[in-house]
Amino acid sequence: MTDDELLIEQVASAHREASRDELRYHPRWHDLDAAGRIRAYERARALRTMEAALDPTGLSTTVRAVLARLPR
Amino acid sequence: MSDLDVHLADIVAGNRDAFAFWMAGAEPRVRDSLRSFAAAIDVEAVVQETLLRVWQVAPRFVPDGRADGLVRFAVRIARNLAVSEVRRTRATPVPDDELEAAAGSAVAAARDPMLRRAIVACRDLLPARPRRALDARLESAGGHDDGDLARALDMTLNTFLQNFTRARQLIAACLGKRGIAIDRELGA
Repeated sequence: MTDDELLIEQVASAHREASRDELRYHPRWHDLDAAGRIRAYERARALRTMEAALDPTGLSTTVRAVLARLPR
Repeated sequence: MSDLDVHLADIVAGNRDAFAFWMAGAEPRVRDSLRSFAAAIDVEAVVQETLLRVWQVAPRFVPDGRADGLVRFAVRIARNLAVSEVRRTRATPVPDDELEAAAGSAVAAARDPMLRRAIVACRDLLPARPRRALDARLESAGGHDDGDLARALDMTLNTFLQNFTRARQLIAACLGKRGIAIDRELGA
């Protein structure tokens, strides 16, 4: 795998550090060029569909990440 | 296509399960609405922030009588966030795009029961290490970065990512053998 492929795979995950005041980018997103960022977007889109299909309740990791961040 | 506003009253009442079900339908449409921003902003971060804001403002949302009003509202929030981000980061401006079209796009393929069964069957055929990497990502649900997941599996980060990549590629190949058209990027 190339370095770019490794970066794209990381950026396509739903992990983003929680932040109260600002959008928190994936730290590796900044290491990608425009083409790599678009591929990371498309990869994430494909992965979320697969994740939702594999989840018993049909939720993607993005949805689960947001649920975990909802204020109690 | 069903109207996701059927969940609105429960969401306003603070029902997280209703919000989860609404998000399952709304997330792909919000994400698709941001496609033209993908080179300029971290779309995943904007999608998550948008969904959080929808939860916060839903009690004040007034439906306009058309279907999927809360989804269209979410797309507007996402769009405004994205434009603010482009301005803040002085990224190259992006062309105006299909706001309403995205809001009305197809429901996620993940809701297709045949596709779901096929993906599960293909997942169950994975070799052990790719399966562990895939399961770790799913169980973490965005809660941990890949470095943490790799350490928990006693893998280096590169090994973890290679195993995760192999998992999705094998699932894509398996779906292809079953004659199921998939997103090209899943098998890339």
